Parts: sequence; structure tokens; C-alpha cells
Amino acid sequence: MSVYDWLDKRLDLRPGLAKMLDHPVPTWVNWLYCFGGITFFFFVLQAITGIFLMLYYVPSPDHAYESVQYITNTVHFGKIIRGMHHWTATLIVVTVVIHMLRVFWHGAYKAPRELNWVAGVCLFLLTMGFGFTGYLLPWDQKAYWATAVGTNIAGSVPVVGSFLLKLARGGTDLGAVTLVRFFDVHVALLPLFMVIFLAGHFFMIRRQGISRPY
Amino acid sequence: MAELMDEYGRPQTPGASGKQGGVTRRKFLSYGIGGIGTAIAAALLYPIVGYAASPAFSTGKEQWIAVGNVTDFSPNQPQKVEFSYKKLDGWMTVEQKSTCWVVAKDSANFDVFNPKCTHLGCAYHWDQNETKFLCPCHGGVYDITGKVLAGPPPRSLDKVPFKLEGDKLLVKGA
Repeated sequence: MSVYDWLDKRLDLRPGLAKMLDHPVPTWVNWLYCFGGITFFFFVLQAITGIFLMLYYVPSPDHAYESVQYITNTVHFGKIIRGMHHWTATLIVVTVVIHMLRVFWHGAYKAPRELNWVAGVCLFLLTMGFGFTGYLLPWDQKAYWATAVGTNIAGSVPVVGSFLLKLARGGTDLGAVTLVRFFDVHVALLPLFMVIFLAGHFFMIRRQGISRPY
Repeated sequence: MAELMDEYGRPQTPGASGKQGGVTRRKFLSYGIGGIGTAIAAALLYPIVGYAASPAFSTGKEQWIAVGNVTDFSPNQPQKVEFSYKKLDGWMTVEQKSTCWVVAKDSANFDVFNPKCTHLGCAYHWDQNETKFLCPCHGGVYDITGKVLAGPPPRSLDKVPFKLEGDKLLVKGA
């Protein structure tokens, strides 16, 4: 008797699992429909590698750069773990855009799926937020100046610009406070919202089914 | 003819099961998915475990610190030496303070002791009158060679590796 049978006997897993795994997929879907799932796979990969990067990373101006160098050059497989996080971050933007373009091209955002499109746009913005905040964390020249430019763009908004800039930087200057708040947003705030919106996104696609474009 | 049912009680078309040699198409696909999933998980788990356990594999860099000249130590006069050296702590270089007891037997033979009592790690001292090492915590007593004479210590004083370079005495940093 397998472990699964043992658990199933006690917890009656079969109906629930069957409902989830035996969900029929229309025969007309093709590879273009995989990019949402690929994006989700990448997100899971980011969560895993991110958790492990935090094992050595220190979000302080005194240590951020050195701890990243330590991960890259000293820790076993550090280059691979950091490399996975880096490249998956880039790829996730590519797959999100392909997924979005496919949904747009097929008109899959139309009624009754408007809400799921809205959830998807929120997920897109969250992805952008991950990219923007994560870019600062290595605390090298590229990170510093990219964030200087990015927050200056926020500062150019009429009326509330200077408030937004100070909100993003945690003060007028880019420094220790900026690094810690970007870190917090990157590893706590955004993941929380990401999971909430992903749950909504998946619930809706299961309820409403895949839209047929013709 | 009884209708073919799959394991969830749905009518089954004979072609869909593709039964051949006892392995259904469903079984084959679930093995395939399980296998690929396991391969991905292993490919991910292997570097992650190595990464997380990395410090446990590191042996640390060997360091020899000069603690004095051979002529600084007179025979049978144990001397406490305090020294400090730079040590790698993760990504940081920190100043490590350390202590050892140096006993010169003659100008070429030395004993260097770890400054902690082998009982519970208290700092012991040399008593010039009794010519013994005494630990104040629980009454551990050692002779000049580090051998336990009395009290609870389970073994002789721990020796610190050292070497002589010219007339310099170097001890191994932890």
C-alpha cells in the first residue's frame, strides 16, 4: 500500500485531487496558452531562490554589496542560485508580456472575464514592482543609479511628486533607509499581494474556463 | 456488455486507456510527469542544499600569528600572551582577540596552552608560589605540563599548535 493510499483512506484525498488534476483542458489549446503557467513556475522558482538568497544577504549599505559578493564568489553554488534569481527575473518579464499579448490578441479579456484581466494587470504591476525593488538590492553602481533615476521619475509627477520621491526613498536622499524599504517591499509586501492576486487569478480561470478566441 | 469505467467512475472509451502490457496511457503519463517533476526538483534541490550547507563544508583558512620572540619567554615561567589578528567572518574581516599560555621548557621547546580550563571553560591562572595552574571556578589544578593534578577537569590543558620561524614563536589562529 502506497503512502498516497494510506493518506487517501484517512483524508479522502481522491475526489479533491481528481477535481484538480483531471480538469479537462479543451483540445484546441496550444503552446501559446502555456505562458501563464510558465510565469507561475518562474514565480515559484523566484520564491525558492529568493528565500535562499536571504540566507546570506544583508540589506544594509555596510554589508549589502559585500554579502552579495560573498554569495557569488564564496558560497557553494552561490553563483548558480543568484544566477537563477537574476535570469528568472528577466525571463518572467518576457513570459508575462507574452501571456498578456496572447490574452489581448485573443480578446480573452472580454466579458465575462474582465475581472481576471484586471487581476492580471495588477499581477503585471506587481511583477514590475519586484523588478524595480530587486534591482537595488545588490547595491552596486548600476543598482544605485537605476534607483536614483527611477525614483526621480516618481519625483517628476505634478503636485505630489516630491512626496512620492521621499516616500520611495524614505527621505530626500537615496541611502540606508531606501535599501531597507526596497528590501522589505521586495521580500514581504509584494510576495503577499502576489499570492493573493495569483489565487484570485487561478480561481477565476478555473471558474470561467479558457476563452475560445473564435 | 458492461461499460468500461475509469477509476473515477466515468465511462471510458477503450482507446483512451491505451492498455498495452499492463501500463495504461494514464499511468504512463503520470509516471512521465512524476519523473520530470522529480528531475526538476532534484536539479533545484542539489545546488540549494549545497548552498545552504556551504559554511558547514568550509574548513577555514589556516593562520599563524606571531605572539613573541623566543627570548621573551624564560624557562619554566608560564606567560599569558594576549594577541589579536584579522579573521574572516562571512563577508566581513573582523579583529579577533585571543589569549594563550606559553611555557618555555628551554629556548627551543615550548608548550602553548589554550587559556580555557578543560572542565567548563573558565580562564585559569598561573600561581607562582604553588607553581601550578589554578582554575578559580571549581578548583581545577594543573601542573606546568598541563596535566590535571586535582579537581574536576576531565583532561589535560588543550595545546595550541605552534611553530618557530627564526626566533619568532607563531601560534595557530582558530
